[in-house]
Amino acid sequence: MTTDTTSPDFKSVIVPPPADSLVLEIRKLNFFYNQHQALFGVDLPVKKNAITALIGPSGCGKSTLLRTINRIYDLYPGQRAEGDILFEGENLIGPKVDVAALRARIGMVFQKPTPFPMSIYDNVAFGVRLHSNKSKAELDELVESSLRKAALWDEVKDKLNKSGLGLSGGQQQRLCVARGIAVNPEILLLDEPASALDPISTAKLEDTLEELKSDYTIVIVTHNLQQAARLSDYTGFMFLGKMVEFGPTEELFVKPKVDKTGEYIGGRFG
Amino acid sequence: MDRALRRKLANYVFIGLCLFGTAIALLSLALILWSLFSQGVGGLNLHLFTMDTPAAGSEGGLRNAIVGSILMCGVAMIIALAVGILAGTWLAEIGGDTPYGHAVRFLNDVLLSAPSILIGVFVAQVLVTGSPFALGHFSGWAGAVALAILATPIVTRTTEDILNLQPNALREAGMALGASQFTTIRTIIWKAAGAGLLTGGLLGFARISGETAPLLFTALGNQFFTANLGEAMESLPHVMYNFALTPYEDLNKLAWAAALLVALAVLGVNILGRWLARDKNAGH
Repeated sequence: MTTDTTSPDFKSVIVPPPADSLVLEIRKLNFFYNQHQALFGVDLPVKKNAITALIGPSGCGKSTLLRTINRIYDLYPGQRAEGDILFEGENLIGPKVDVAALRARIGMVFQKPTPFPMSIYDNVAFGVRLHSNKSKAELDELVESSLRKAALWDEVKDKLNKSGLGLSGGQQQRLCVARGIAVNPEILLLDEPASALDPISTAKLEDTLEELKSDYTIVIVTHNLQQAARLSDYTGFMFLGKMVEFGPTEELFVKPKVDKTGEYIGGRFG
Repeated sequence: MDRALRRKLANYVFIGLCLFGTAIALLSLALILWSLFSQGVGGLNLHLFTMDTPAAGSEGGLRNAIVGSILMCGVAMIIALAVGILAGTWLAEIGGDTPYGHAVRFLNDVLLSAPSILIGVFVAQVLVTGSPFALGHFSGWAGAVALAILATPIVTRTTEDILNLQPNALREAGMALGASQFTTIRTIIWKAAGAGLLTGGLLGFARISGETAPLLFTALGNQFFTANLGEAMESLPHVMYNFALTPYEDLNKLAWAAALLVALAVLGVNILGRWLARDKNAGH
């Protein structure tokens, strides 16, 4: 087995979680931006109620991979995926998939906080109102519990009808998390959620994700190796569009099986 | 002279020229406003709003012209906002990058600077005299349509520009929750761009509020009061055009008063628009 990651013979080293604990499984995924291929035969097993981190240098394809899971790449005509993304027995790349319903079950939080131009209450209730017909009392309860889970309730409970745009950056990001979990997704995808935040807000957000693990499955892309080591149960290291190594976080960080992984973690590049 | 001093001097000269240019622009504006105000304020009285335009030598007001302008500009703006916002949204969100979209944008820009008299003649042909749709006579509807054609390209342009400024992340965030493209645009993007859309409307209104040429062939004028858009209608710019040319002083005075009213209306609508669109979160 070659260890040269650029060689076509290179095989990813994957130590997956037990097969019956998986909620999502990506197999042999190829992704194309028009003619340019960005992902090459990527595998990603995602364990239920755990945090899976994707790390790697800029341009390695980790955000691209994340964005295939909720089909958000559909918005851009030149982008397409080939392969298997298996979620409850269905291949998410299939043409018959109800993408809107899918996105209610697989939520996403973006790098830059994106509060909607409406009140904090309406922000959190937005997704809920799209997919269900809850009474005002039910909505009130759902908004409160979502904001509590996102560790934002105490800071905003007296100003729920104020605009979401009036919050600080860290609060806005936690608002986006609350908005994402209000629809009770099975999986929550986070694309470098703390990269625009100061250290204190980052710490708060990380604590929140730690708590959310028991109710939701989390996949997080991060540039911050220490964050990945702190937070995640499983980590995947990607390089030049390939999943180089995947396994339990402690194993990958302490005793990586592929040289490239060790070089990246040791800071020798990227 | 050493380098540093020469640089400083060049800097001052350049800034001086910029200030000079600004002063000329502001001075022109001030002179226009001053003459409008000083000539027009004398003609402001309650009669303006209670009496209609007079024949030479008799007393009168501007009631029919005011009502006519409000009705025609109002209808025109409703059409321009509806068509312009939808067209601008299509360009920004859906088809702007296709060859067809490029063609639409180009034609919109051509229409943007089309001479208003040409628009007037065209609408006259279609709605007044020369086509199966024509009413056979001058009408407020024809005037409103002509004004709408003038205002729509402005609204389209500003709408597309302001929507393009909205970050893509906002659209993705809406769709990532399961919203359709239309729902995302309607409930998130339009709201986020609200101030800009309103500005587009204000710019369109400012353009048409003083237009006379297109109305000459479409609504013409009406010495008597009417609120029926099916009839020929008077308008403030048309009164200005007519009365300013006459040798009668009281009619000239009415023309100035009409000019002042138009200026005040544009000023008022702009202030209202800025106030409505104020950023309530500014200063955070």
